[in-house]
Amino acid sequence: MSAEQAAPQRRGPWTGTRVLDLTGLSGAYGTRVWAALGADVICVEPPQGNPVRTMPPLAPGHSGPEASLWWAYYAASKRSVVLDLTDAEDVSALVRLIGTADVVLDDAPPATQETYRWLADSGEGGLGVAGIVERFPHVTWVSITPFGMTGPRRAWRSSNLIGWASCGLASTVGFPHGPPLAPGGEIGVLMHGASLYGVIGSMLALRSRDQAAANGGAAVGQTVDLSLQDFGIWLSPETGVPLYLDDQVPRPRAGNRRPITSPMGMYPASDGYVAMIAIQPAHWNAVAQWVHELTGNEGILDEIFVDIVVRREALEAVDAWVEELTTQFTKQELFVEGQRRRIPITPVNTVGDLRTDPHLEAVGWWRSEEHPVLGSYTVPGSPFNTDGDWWAWDRAPMLGEHTEEVLGELS
Amino acid sequence: MTGSTDRRPLDGVRVFEISIAVAAPCCGKILAHHGAEVFKVEARSYPDVARAFGSAWARDPELADVFCDTSPYVPEMSCGKRSVGFELKQPGGLEAAKRLLATCDVFLTNFAAPGIAELGLDYASVSELRPDIIYAGMTGFGVDPDKPYYPFRAFGPNQAPLVGWDALTGFPHEEPAGIPSIAPPDYMGGLHATLAILSALHERDQTGEGRFIDISQLETTVSFLGPYLVGQDLGVPEPFRNGNRVPWSAPAGIYPCAGGDVWVAVEVQSDEAWRALTGLAEWSEIDAHDDSGQPALSTYPHASLAERLANHDAIDVELSAWTARRSPQQAAAELQALGVAAYEVLDHRGVLVDPQVHDRRPYSIVPCPRLGRDLFVRDPLQMSATPPFVTRAGPNMGGDTTDVMAELGYADDEVTQMIESGDVFTDSRPELVLERPFDRWYESVGIAEFYDAEGNITGGGQ
Repeated sequence: MSAEQAAPQRRGPWTGTRVLDLTGLSGAYGTRVWAALGADVICVEPPQGNPVRTMPPLAPGHSGPEASLWWAYYAASKRSVVLDLTDAEDVSALVRLIGTADVVLDDAPPATQETYRWLADSGEGGLGVAGIVERFPHVTWVSITPFGMTGPRRAWRSSNLIGWASCGLASTVGFPHGPPLAPGGEIGVLMHGASLYGVIGSMLALRSRDQAAANGGAAVGQTVDLSLQDFGIWLSPETGVPLYLDDQVPRPRAGNRRPITSPMGMYPASDGYVAMIAIQPAHWNAVAQWVHELTGNEGILDEIFVDIVVRREALEAVDAWVEELTTQFTKQELFVEGQRRRIPITPVNTVGDLRTDPHLEAVGWWRSEEHPVLGSYTVPGSPFNTDGDWWAWDRAPMLGEHTEEVLGELS
Repeated sequence: MTGSTDRRPLDGVRVFEISIAVAAPCCGKILAHHGAEVFKVEARSYPDVARAFGSAWARDPELADVFCDTSPYVPEMSCGKRSVGFELKQPGGLEAAKRLLATCDVFLTNFAAPGIAELGLDYASVSELRPDIIYAGMTGFGVDPDKPYYPFRAFGPNQAPLVGWDALTGFPHEEPAGIPSIAPPDYMGGLHATLAILSALHERDQTGEGRFIDISQLETTVSFLGPYLVGQDLGVPEPFRNGNRVPWSAPAGIYPCAGGDVWVAVEVQSDEAWRALTGLAEWSEIDAHDDSGQPALSTYPHASLAERLANHDAIDVELSAWTARRSPQQAAAELQALGVAAYEVLDHRGVLVDPQVHDRRPYSIVPCPRLGRDLFVRDPLQMSATPPFVTRAGPNMGGDTTDVMAELGYADDEVTQMIESGDVFTDSRPELVLERPFDRWYESVGIAEFYDAEGNITGGGQ
């Protein structure tokens, strides 16, 4: 199969850049974007496949290495090479493959990365990442690990959930009566963000290398150490040390409304919830006017309620008035009419809502994809647009689909 | 302190940033850490909310004119940038901005598309001034006025509900908890913008051509739902919020510990980790004390993932009984020693005293014109040859106006005249240096261990 199928026609700004992806979930989203921007992203998988291939949801009626929709989505536009690193020939192939790469992304535990025996076993050099970058100085090696390559807890295990706990953010999410929560639940927001940062680090290292070479210097890569915990801290100023040291104000879990004023937070619609924030007087006046028009409420128009402090003191009453409005419409109706009235309001969308969202439909966001095992289905389009011909989307590779092709290129 | 060399990948890249809150500013912060010269163009007539927050300790009529420099969000979002006070709604201010723009490589904004067009800073106008500009516009809903949500307002805290993250945050039997107090979608937008700008710079190195980049936050953040959106066409049931549980690990959750509102996050990621957990001696004792009627965890060392998922509630009862007898630190350490992923659920103070944070030093403390020195989260990339850093916190609002105008060729008297006419402005009382409370409060809150003997923040440093 792979011998007959030509390598995908590459285009986009990163055509000519080769990336080896040794990661699981912590590199997947970023390298997905990079691959679609033209980079030749090669997933090096063990014979049983990348662990992402086992993650539910699976396509109904399917099992085996192609069934996971995580893989189908996150491995898009990449190539798959299977190497059995207990086999000397495959180890030697991996070493040669690394030599052809510009960047390697790896999420193995720090001690593992430090003691890779591939070069030593191939008779080509020393141990671990240090040996590899010495042997192949043009290569940049990006380590994305739970707690970084250094520090007393570097060997500790982690996950998306554990990462949110370790950076402070989970402590502020949830209801006061219940436990802290991972923001976004199982979709893996922290992992995907870290993978983007890993790719940003890769691109910066490549720029540094290429600029040096253009100025007559040596084209050398570097090692990049990115920790999930550090990344989580970067995106959590709200729960970070600088804010705490400045105001000493704890930020406990407060559920889905903020007791700062009303309306602020989630309100029930006839078919779900909407999120609304009215701090500025103009926003409040628009809300009050709408409630008045709909329910005949005269009291809500009283000028004293323009003051956010008064609304905080009368929180329950104001929330109840607002709910008299919101419960009469669907969340999409509230979104469209509320936005027309210049109120910051949005629906609390579900996955199903987004799949049928009229704006995403109107901008032609969805793409259809054909997969030899899974059939055809609709997938999200590009995460951003440009006025250039940047995106080259392709389906995810089947396990080992490009082994022969890629190893053939080596010889 | 900054590695073997101060050379950085974005040396020589000039960025014109006109921005608000988080999404574009956090992108500019990354670019600044990696060597770009970032000009944050600010106006008193529409100040950035990150400035408007100020600080509670600075709510003093005497400090009203410098309140905008005191918010901790200023260094968090804009450390390393130069602040230029140009009133773009004034002809002279706009003219100065255009002169600066003509010298820049990157234009970065997260102003609403209609607003930026009104200022005459849409791509068509900007690329006339600088044909090879890389123009990154971050909007809520794109730049096409004919599309349904184009005129709608995107607002940080409303983004997570819109893009499906809030509905997935919470327990199945409750309303969604959502994430109203924090703003991950804004940061994810900023990361996409950074990746796009670096890609355009890479392309421009080869072609010499600029690029228009349209980062619509809706599409950017909905992209994280990919597998579930794909599932919609294949008959996969919609995902529903499920607390901290995930379908590929069990048990997974956040469990109560001894000592009040303190918690430990636990995720058993393999059969091997599960066997190690069930081998603990304490289970029989816990079983003797609980009234669940369920046998102890230790009875099921060979339970498969599917069996553990099916019995998650019962497992949680016993695991909670075990964690409740320990501090979060103790529980996490014992579980990690077994090979089970776990961490204490840190709050602000927990982050401050965390041993791994102390070692990794994710915070920087550097000189700041208004506050003497200031503290912020540095770039998380530890790069061996080109470590990221910035040398100045702040900036003061308008603090770099006169220097930048001089570099642009304005004569001193021209600048003076434009300040008088209100076209441009500089920072208030530049000689006034305030002190952040942490400089005198740290001992009283028991965080002295964060500092070394000289009083420097040891968790910081570049």
